[in-house]
Amino acid sequence: MPLLEVADLRTHFFTRAGVVQAVDGVDLTVEKGKTLGIVGESGCGKSVTALSIMRLLPTPPARIVSGSIRFDGRELTTLSERELEDVRGREIAMVFQDPMTALNPTLTIGTQIVEVLQRHLGLDHGAARRRAAELLDEVGIPRARERLDDYPHRFSGGMRQRVVIAIAIACEPRLLIADEPTTALDVTVQAQVLDLLDDLRREREMAIVLITHNMGVVAESADDVAVMYAGQIVEHAPAHELFASPEHPYTEALLAALPDLDDPAARERRLAAIPGRPPDLIDPPPACRFAARCPYAGCGDGCALEPPVLRELRPQHRVRTTHPASERTTVPA
Amino acid sequence: MSVTEIAGRLAGVDAGAPIRQSSLWQDAWRRYLRNRGAVAAGVVFLLILAWCVVAPIVSPHDPNRIAFSDAYQGPSWSHPFGTDQFGRDLFTRAALGGRISIGIGFGATLAILGVGVVYGAISGFVGGKLDNALMRFLDALYGLPYLPFAILALAIIGTVNFWTMVVALSIASWFITARVVRGQIITLKENDYVRAARAVGVRWYAVLGRHLLPNTLGVLVITIFLELPGVILGEAFLSFLGLGINPPDASWGSMAQDGRDAYRAHPHIIVIPSLAIATLVLCANFIADGLRDALDPRTKET
Repeated sequence: MPLLEVADLRTHFFTRAGVVQAVDGVDLTVEKGKTLGIVGESGCGKSVTALSIMRLLPTPPARIVSGSIRFDGRELTTLSERELEDVRGREIAMVFQDPMTALNPTLTIGTQIVEVLQRHLGLDHGAARRRAAELLDEVGIPRARERLDDYPHRFSGGMRQRVVIAIAIACEPRLLIADEPTTALDVTVQAQVLDLLDDLRREREMAIVLITHNMGVVAESADDVAVMYAGQIVEHAPAHELFASPEHPYTEALLAALPDLDDPAARERRLAAIPGRPPDLIDPPPACRFAARCPYAGCGDGCALEPPVLRELRPQHRVRTTHPASERTTVPA
Repeated sequence: MSVTEIAGRLAGVDAGAPIRQSSLWQDAWRRYLRNRGAVAAGVVFLLILAWCVVAPIVSPHDPNRIAFSDAYQGPSWSHPFGTDQFGRDLFTRAALGGRISIGIGFGATLAILGVGVVYGAISGFVGGKLDNALMRFLDALYGLPYLPFAILALAIIGTVNFWTMVVALSIASWFITARVVRGQIITLKENDYVRAARAVGVRWYAVLGRHLLPNTLGVLVITIFLELPGVILGEAFLSFLGLGINPPDASWGSMAQDGRDAYRAHPHIIVIPSLAIATLVLCANFIADGLRDALDPRTKET
């Protein structure tokens, strides 16, 4: 049984301008101790998916209108806020994008780690402080014991993200959701933080959901990849297979858009882009959401009339399109 | 001058000295001390407080002793502020009046703060329908005129003493504080660290008590000194009208009332309490200003 199983999740925002279908059909599976990468462009619903799993979205305006989120066999969508508070941090924890704002500037980092340890593990203050120092040491902060009494502004961005990670893993959650954990960091620090997450995952057999818009990050650290577009999962496959043989036209286009510095001919060409813009999620197209930008739309297979479903093309390889690469008989229009 | 020296001067520390860790409040204190007007106001404020506390204890004069033979004396060595129409020493009596005026002022301000923080924090934190209901209720109360409502409150309570004055003056003046706190909580609630705290399962009351309310402290300190002048003036106004503190107790407002009849011949009787009120109010405003600049340096970076 997978650790996390999200089925047909739909999270909508009820605003004055209309109902924003931010997440509208997300199916995910995360295996124990594995990393699932979720990729997609800005505004495609990656973060809303993560916050839906955590049940941290403000309601109203957001509401999970349908679907199920099963964590270790337990349905999360029906839990009360009180029950959720026991799940968060203890079973599932989250690392946010910007480490400059994810720590309370008025509390020492020691206080912030001790708070979580006392909350879930019921440690006394002294034991919690010792454990906090061990955690800081584990995430690679030098002189951990002395730094417990420092305020967040005394740490650099990369160091703060390490502190944020230390707080998230303090109670040994079985799932860590990392929402663009490296986006706000320098490139050199990015690699260090990704390595840290990977080490922690292996040592603790903790599963990770890694949300990013960076294909390179996914290639490096994910076991499985889910590609999101306009609130839906369009492709879900093991990482090596997704990169070797992408099936969805959107995935193909994303991979084609990666600059290749090793190819001298490519260095002369303009970078590849995907024409058009993602659809308005208040009034999305009735059928395939990628149709307007898809080179294979209008080939006469009716993909713009009938919404495609997420189907299993091969074992573990699911795709939402009427014309996956391996079944294509037509050429781009 | 070397670069480190310049940097040191800019940071207000000695060049070459090891960079010391300083908390938000230490930083704010340093910025406050650089504001001369605010420092002067703070010193005068403390001097007035000291005078109110010490003068009645060390004074040789009984502030309530009536001696018509001593009436209407101007300032002299034995009576620095002179005497009133009953021959009472104004130096001692104004200090006693100050105790009551400032005491009621702080009492009512704290009451305003208490009610305002609870109301505003609940409204902002819970949000949604409850927030809407509480705010519409506040809108309705907003129309209440402050002083007539205080007079009405005193009339309903029936007795006038220190505590009923505190209630009367705070009952119709906590609305702004409630709104300020609500606004603060709503802004703070959107911070990533609040979401991060919730993401690791911190209970709602701990989020409110540890992550939200302490961050409003700066605003609350400023609010104390913003509300204080209004309340002190309100108390003076009520006492001047004879609706406040009863004789023989004195407040600055009732002392000004005492001096009203003879204000042409013996102006010092009305001038001294009035001056005390004006000075205190001015100081409170300067202090509030200085605190705001010190606690939120982005609003005025010089």
